[in-house]
Order: sequence, then C-alpha cells, then structure tokens
Amino acid sequence: MQDKRKERIDRGVKVRSDTIYAISSMKEIMYLIGPRMGLVLFLLALPLVLPIYWQKVVSITAVYALLAVSFGFLSSYVGLVNLGGALFVGVGGYISGLLNSAYGLPLYISIPAATLLGALFCTLVLLPCLPLRGIYFAIVSFVYPLAAVRIISATGAFGGTDGIAGLDMIGSGYGSQYFIIVTLLLVTFGVSRLVSAEDIGLIFRGVKDNEQAIKASGLNLTMYKAVAVFIGALIGSFAGAWLAHLYGWVGMSLMATDFSILPLAATVVGGTSTIYGPLVGTLLLVPISEALRDFGTLRIVFYSVAMVFFVVFWTEGLLIYIKRKYEQFERWVRV
Amino acid sequence: MSVKTTDYSLLINNLMLFYENALAINNISLKIEEGKITGVFGANSAGKSSLMHTISGIILDMAKKEKMKGGERITWFGEMLFKGEDIINLPPHKRARLGIVLCPERRQIFSESSVLENLMIGSYLANSSQTKETLDFVFELFPELVKLKNREAGFLSGGEQQMLATGRALMAQPKLLLLDEPLLGLAPSVEQRLSRAIQDINKHTGITIIISEQYARPLFPIIDYGYLLENGGVVMEGTSKELMDNPDVIGAYFGI
Repeated sequence: MQDKRKERIDRGVKVRSDTIYAISSMKEIMYLIGPRMGLVLFLLALPLVLPIYWQKVVSITAVYALLAVSFGFLSSYVGLVNLGGALFVGVGGYISGLLNSAYGLPLYISIPAATLLGALFCTLVLLPCLPLRGIYFAIVSFVYPLAAVRIISATGAFGGTDGIAGLDMIGSGYGSQYFIIVTLLLVTFGVSRLVSAEDIGLIFRGVKDNEQAIKASGLNLTMYKAVAVFIGALIGSFAGAWLAHLYGWVGMSLMATDFSILPLAATVVGGTSTIYGPLVGTLLLVPISEALRDFGTLRIVFYSVAMVFFVVFWTEGLLIYIKRKYEQFERWVRV
Repeated sequence: MSVKTTDYSLLINNLMLFYENALAINNISLKIEEGKITGVFGANSAGKSSLMHTISGIILDMAKKEKMKGGERITWFGEMLFKGEDIINLPPHKRARLGIVLCPERRQIFSESSVLENLMIGSYLANSSQTKETLDFVFELFPELVKLKNREAGFLSGGEQQMLATGRALMAQPKLLLLDEPLLGLAPSVEQRLSRAIQDINKHTGITIIISEQYARPLFPIIDYGYLLENGGVVMEGTSKELMDNPDVIGAYFGI
C-alpha cells in the first residue's frame, strides 16, 4: 500500500524574497510589491473607468472600507471586537456638522477637527469598558450608538430627528474621489505597518494574546488599549465627518447599525489576521449589496447567506486563501 | 499480519502523523496488552500527546477545526486496531463508546460544575447500576473527593483536580484508559498517591491503561511495559525491568 499526502511548499520566489535576495532581480521585486501595486492601481483606476452612478458608490465603499480597516485593526490585533463602528461615524459626523453649521468653519477645517475631537470623545466614553474583553466588549460597544440615537431623538439635541441640514458639500468630482481613495490607501498601509513593524504593534498583539503577560512586562494595559481605540476612532471619525459632508446633512442615520455590522461581515468574508482582509471584503460586499439594490430588502438574505457560508465553511476568509495560494504550492509526496 | 490481533487490547501499526509538513509521529508500532499498564515516556515534542490524541480520536476533531480555519492540515496514516477492529478513522465519541476513554492533559475538568456533577457527566455511557458502583469505587479510590462533593471543581487544588479528572474518565466505563500526563505539576507525595491509585484501578477492574509522562520515575514501579519516544519515533521499548536496567534510559528519562 502506497500512502500519499499532499505537501505544501513555499514557492521559490517566496523563499528568496524573504531574504536579501528580494532585491536581486525584477521577478522578486515584482513578487513582493505586485499585490500591493495591484491594489493601488485598481483603486486609483476606479473613478476613471466606472460610469457616473458607480463613481458615487466609490466614495461610500471607501468610507465603509475605512471602518472595516478600523474594525480589523481593533479586533484582529488588539483583541477588542468593536461593534460600535457607528459610534465613531456618528460622533465624527455630528462634530463636523456642528462645527460647520454653528461655527461656520469650512469643511477643510471641520473634518480634521472632527477627526481628532471625535476620536478623543470616543476614547473617553469607551474608557470604562476597556477592561472588558471579547464578546463583552462587543456587546457594550454595540450598545453605545443605539443609546446615542435614543438620547438624540428623546432630547432633540443636535436637531433631534431632523438632524442638521445645509452643510458644505464635498463635490463628487475626481478630486474628492481621489482624496478619499488615497486616504484609504494611506490608512491601510499605515495601520498594516503599525501592527507589523512598529514596537507598539507588537504590544497591541501582546494585549490580544495575553493581558496578564503584558502587565507583567510592566506595560500599562489600559493606556495601550486606549491608544488602540484612539487610532481606531480616528479612522472611524474621519469616515463619519467625510460622510456628513458628502450628504451635506447630519442625522441619526449616521449611527445606523450598518456601520457597525458591515465591517464585521467584511472581515469575515475577507479574512482576519491581515489588515487587507477587511479591505478586500468591503470592496466585494458593498458593490454587491449596491448591485442587489433592485431586490429591495431581499438582498439582506443574499448577504446573510454569504456570511453564513464564510463563517461555517470557509472560516479562513478569501484573502488568507489567496495569500496561501500565492505563497505556496502543493504536491503529492509518498509518505 | 501474523500477529493475532485479538490478543492485544490496542494494536498500532506504522502510525504516522503530520502537522502540515512536520512529522509528529514517525512510524510508530505499539502493542498494548489487555489488562496491563503501558507507559509512553519522552521529553516535550517527543510525540506523546499527539499519540494520545490519535488513539482517543481527538486528532480528527483538531484536523477538522484546522481545516476550516485554513490552518495546518493534519494527516495520518497507518493502522489502529482496537479489539481487532480498525478505528483509525472513527470519531472520538464513537471511540469512547467502544471503551477508549481519554483523561486529557491539564485535567480539563468542568470548572464551574461541582465535583459530583463532573463525575456524573462522565457517566453518560454507563447504566445506573454501573454508575453507582463506579461512583463508590471512585470515592473509595480518592476519599478526598467525598468531602468535596459539592464544591465547585475550579476551586480544587491541582492534585484534587487530577483525581477528579481520573475519576470522571473511570465513570465512562473505559476498557482502555488513556492518561495523558496525569502527574503534571504535582507534588512528589501526590505523585506517589496517584500512581498507587492508578495501579489500584488496574488491579481491581482490569482496565488496560496507557500513561504518557515526561518524568518516568514515579510511574516506573507500576508499569508493565514501556515505550520511550524521541522525535516522534520509538527509540526503546521493554518491560519496566529491562528499561530500568538500561543505563542510557536511566540517565535520559528517569532523572537519576
């Protein structure tokens, strides 16, 4: 009886490009930067090749992608499963809207200000929940935007159910599209570098793995968690502020549950454990859900089926699978 | 196969186990005799736990989980005969029904249930008279547990937890009991106490027992036959006397 098994072997080009030989020839260089260049070129080409209607989708997709990157960063690298993405969006949007309408600040000041102030505010309100882990943090963070919506509609603050209308609008020309796309790329590569190459990224991953060991290493656990939430909230608040000026209107729908759940779905589909997974997931999910708009609420079903399929049968997610195929090949060997 | 398979409780032929490309068990063949205590000794990474997982079938679950995650693929080859029946691809719960019961490494008790509840969970495969009988036997074996009957199991000391885990495994009416590192992290006096209890189990019930352990010395007097593993392969085997008389073994595994 001859037993055989399938063996996974790293491709030669992968092995070479792990070392100094990475710069030995064009092939190795292309192997390394090819996928990233592909992503960059793909995103940069989008506004040029898409028809007008879909160009608007680009902006929305980029906003969701930013949220997904923020979610992926917090959940895969810090261990904080943050289902309160809507809080970041809402806070960022409302602050920018207020600054713009009540104080008359132009949007190129109100958006950055809202990004910073929103992130600070979100970090402060989430501070008491930071000792929580996993599902408990997820529940509590999920409740925040829901509570915020109730408070706004009950007290009538910030325009109550009507929201604040008449904000300065971001045009939908190439300028704004490229601005958000480039921002998305910078954020993605920046966060990816932060978690893989910087000291603080190492600490973040340590926080996810073992909190006790982090404390035993003399690191202030709450501080690092707060920094992580601040980074996540920066991204989310910017997305919210951008969205507010894209619509020219701020309202309770900025705290919609979509903003909390879609990043989770995108991460499930794209794959955890890289920052690019959530990004790729969003680039798939948002256009698909846009294309299914004709089906009305039925598209939720398609959506759910896709999610269940990935959770149950393909837990690794798309990007991890593609990455493995890119780096390794398989062959049969005799045992 | 010339060996009469029914003479042995468990017969393993040419077992190989891969974690992706890493070879964890390299062509191991074991003959576990009915009603005897067999020791499997080796350092960390020798393949003891992998072997226990493969015998108990847990490896099938692990493989499934890893496959879903897209992680390491676990593959195994070879033959594993339990009372003449090939069980290599049988899922773990079916193996437990056949009588192969694992007492897992690091005890793995249900820490939020009481001691008695822990024992009762183990007895799902037994009928009520067996349950009563075995429960009495467990309490006779480990009198400490009687007092702690209603205590939450998570608050037990390491030694008491190990007694509980062993007792729970006994409640499942094993024909082949797998004890994976039962002496892990125990004081020398408790080690003595437990190894005597293991011997008692074997003597009174005739259950075949396989023990894996790193530090062989406290178990040495109670085993009938031992295997020494190194890097996934069997480097030496023999009765306890033969192993004891071998100077290499003494130096390397018995810590003298």
